[in-house]
Amino acid sequence: MNHGQQSGEAKHEDDAALTEFLASLMDYTPTIPDDLVEHYLAKSGFQCPDVRLIRLVAVATQKFVADVASDALQHCKARPAPVVKDKKQQKDKRLVLTMEDLSKALREYGVNVKHPEYFADSPSTGMDPATREE
Amino acid sequence: MKRRRKARVNSEAPDDQSAAEFSFSLTRVAVSQICLSVGYTSTDTSSTLDTLTLITTKFLQSIAELAASFSNSANRTEANLFDIVNGLQDTALATSDCFPGGSTLHNTESRCLIKSAVLRNLSDFVASAFEIPFAKPLPRLEISGSYGGDSTRVPRSPEMKSIPAWLPPFPDSSLYLERYTKERSDHLWENSDSVIGRGTLVESSGVESSRGRSSGRLPLRRASVRFKVERDWSSGGGGSCKSVTRLERWRDDNDGEFEVKKKMGEEYIYCADIDAGVWNM
Repeated sequence: MNHGQQSGEAKHEDDAALTEFLASLMDYTPTIPDDLVEHYLAKSGFQCPDVRLIRLVAVATQKFVADVASDALQHCKARPAPVVKDKKQQKDKRLVLTMEDLSKALREYGVNVKHPEYFADSPSTGMDPATREE
Repeated sequence: MKRRRKARVNSEAPDDQSAAEFSFSLTRVAVSQICLSVGYTSTDTSSTLDTLTLITTKFLQSIAELAASFSNSANRTEANLFDIVNGLQDTALATSDCFPGGSTLHNTESRCLIKSAVLRNLSDFVASAFEIPFAKPLPRLEISGSYGGDSTRVPRSPEMKSIPAWLPPFPDSSLYLERYTKERSDHLWENSDSVIGRGTLVESSGVESSRGRSSGRLPLRRASVRFKVERDWSSGGGGSCKSVTRLERWRDDNDGEFEVKKKMGEEYIYCADIDAGVWNM
């Protein structure tokens, strides 16, 4: 059957692509070391003797962190720049990772990181005296 | 003069705390390297970086837990590529990103993983992103007996195939074999004095004991054991048998009103004596 042959060829191509990807993992050194990844995996009950799979998890984690950081960077750049007095200062703009940008970026990934804006002694602190219930 | 308030010492075991702190600090270094590669130069507070590091560790653990649960559902203890990809898909499900190709994972015809968008994205990332090796070399730990990270463990012998591989290896046989034989020869229960009536049984009833046996093993040809019922006619009809078999009792059942009982021992003596009107202890 023609259709069967085509699907078989496509399957072979897909298998070849997968094999090539797994082989490329051995050439690529992820930022998170293998031993550290193995420690966290063993802590969660994950057992696997294959190094390629450990590297796959490390690469997935690296990609996640890179995506979060790049989203936070976009939020940082999107903020209107403050009034610059010197031209030198404008060139030398430092990109600082702030909690505000991080919480905005993580919200898209389903992680709620929100710091309270201020800490109060009691719920009625700072409220209008007339509205306070005594 | 200001008095510095000392931090309260944690009641947690120092080893666990130091191991957790060590791994956390290593992860923080890796996360800061990734942030540098993205374009950041600094962070405003240390808590920001700590938050991102904590989320990274939670992400790692969540993938591991998902993959482990997938493998356990399939009656396996070791996870494979399918488990990891399913775990990644479920993690991607938690985010708002859509992931085309997720349904093809469970397609029984193709069963091809590369069609999954998550894996494709990872493959593109590996192909395009620059390598960022870890800043400092990690010290190699000598892990004894635990599986975690020990890929050079000695494989088990064929007769121990039933034992799972993730269990720690057996200790050296010389540590326990010698001790075992020593205990066997010294503390054999049959030779100990805790056996009740052993001495009298051997002497009075003329049992051929197997004293010549060695190392606790019973020889194939053992001497036969016979029991004799002796009647002490001098004490007035009371029996003084030490042990009685049913056959012997039936033979002696001439004048006594013995009842057939299944138990052995001194109870029969008491019964006989009560019938005879004499109580012998």
